[in-house]
Amino acid sequence: MMAGILWLLLAVMGGLAVLPLFASGYIISFTIQIFMWIALAGSWNLISGFTGYVSFGHVAFFGIGSYTGALLVTKAGWHWLPASLAGCVPAAALALLIGYPCLRLKGPYFAIAMLGLNEVVRALVSYFESFTGGGSGISLPPILSIAPVYYAMGGVAIAVTLLTYRIITSRFGLRLLSIREDEIAAETMGINTSLMKLYAFLLSALFPGIVGGLYAWYSSYIEPLSVFPLLTTITMIIMCLFGGKGTVLGPVLGAVLLSVFQELVWARFIFVHQAIFGALIVGVVLLMPRGIMGVLQERYRLPRAV
Amino acid sequence: MPEGHILEVREVTKRFGGVTAVNHCSLVVQPRKIYGLIGPNGSGKTTLFNCITGLERRDEGEIRFKDERIDGLKPHQVACRGIGRTFQIIRVFPELTALENLLVVSRQGGLAGNRQRAMELLEFVKLDRLQNEYAGNLSYGQQKLLEFIRVLMTDPELILLDEPAAGVNPTLLNDLLDAIRKLRAQGKTILIVEHDMKVVMGLCEMVFVLDYGEKIAEGPPGVIQTNERVIEAYFGR
Repeated sequence: MMAGILWLLLAVMGGLAVLPLFASGYIISFTIQIFMWIALAGSWNLISGFTGYVSFGHVAFFGIGSYTGALLVTKAGWHWLPASLAGCVPAAALALLIGYPCLRLKGPYFAIAMLGLNEVVRALVSYFESFTGGGSGISLPPILSIAPVYYAMGGVAIAVTLLTYRIITSRFGLRLLSIREDEIAAETMGINTSLMKLYAFLLSALFPGIVGGLYAWYSSYIEPLSVFPLLTTITMIIMCLFGGKGTVLGPVLGAVLLSVFQELVWARFIFVHQAIFGALIVGVVLLMPRGIMGVLQERYRLPRAV
Repeated sequence: MPEGHILEVREVTKRFGGVTAVNHCSLVVQPRKIYGLIGPNGSGKTTLFNCITGLERRDEGEIRFKDERIDGLKPHQVACRGIGRTFQIIRVFPELTALENLLVVSRQGGLAGNRQRAMELLEFVKLDRLQNEYAGNLSYGQQKLLEFIRVLMTDPELILLDEPAAGVNPTLLNDLLDAIRKLRAQGKTILIVEHDMKVVMGLCEMVFVLDYGEKIAEGPPGVIQTNERVIEAYFGR
């Protein structure tokens, strides 16, 4: 079973590796988007899927990474790749600064605090107009070829997924799950829950920072509204829950299936696509609250490492 | 200070608003013995447990474990010094498997290195065949046993058990009592909150009695049973 899944993954990755050689620009852009969602949903999974601390402001790390990347490219003249990678630094700093006090909040209070964080960061970015361009945003040089972005975004998606695998097969991963299950019991059994949560939060902030930088380069223009939308956080959450929280392949499946579904529905039912999408989400939450991987794991006794 | 004690609770007081849950309570626990902590409902037993394990911060007094202050430490710090506990209401990790429930609390060595010890403990309470079952799917009694061996997984010197016998059928109870005696033989110290008098009298070498947060008596079970203040606390005047 595990071997089969592994071969399937390798085949898919081989196919994806050669995709830019022959696919149309549309297919490549669409795949970049899927990679982006895999990385974002997978990152959200690291804190919220594992520990149960639902972050409603995760797009803040994406947005701050976008601005870091865009500013390094336009003002400091950096190459887009190191500029994007550098996006993880302020994202991590923000995660430490915010995580330390906010991870003490339980349940809805943490979610609301994170929601507030995103609004604050967006307001700050808009306010420092001379530096960030304020509401008029930042224009980046147009990109000549999207294949390098494709590989970079794919690399981040793989990195997040491998990291998730590494975590879930470790004691650290089990400790994070135990926090989700019963934090008081975990703490009483000698698990330093505050520290574990902070580590998870830090890891979950790194990749959205990088993805944000890549997004800024790829879309050639960013503004506060385009890189700090609540909808992006909600999409991460839905993809992760749909695929299965606290699993390795859940966010991947969720990102792929929902991206494809959304694209198909959007193309056919322009006016009602959001209603259809919404109905699907309600259905999933009602019928399989543990997501696709959660159901498969329970039904077929798959090991947790899937 | 008496020589060789493992736990000392000195003049500890804990208030919740206007209610004094634990009132200037002092007790001394010697190593390698089984102690009982009894008292009517609301007498402060669980609150005292919570103060010892760091889940509640005491308002006054001192708690020492192996001659070091532990009041003021966080629960995980207390646990890592060597105090383990179970809860009155079962607190296993429902969506972790039975085996994972044990592995997650291990502190040193890799997961693979701890697997053998975890399997031995599962065998010890006859749960080895259910190792890959989610803890939430186990029966009440099985969850109780799992929680019990989860404490043992961390190899604590002092074990606090909060009503281990509640809701456990007689056969299982006998196994559990045997297990507790074995632990004592291995050199562990055990402090038990228990309502079932037969369990306390049969198991404990020394009993503390709380009433309205105050310690009203202590002594061997036989002596305690005839203590007037204890009878009064339980049955009224």
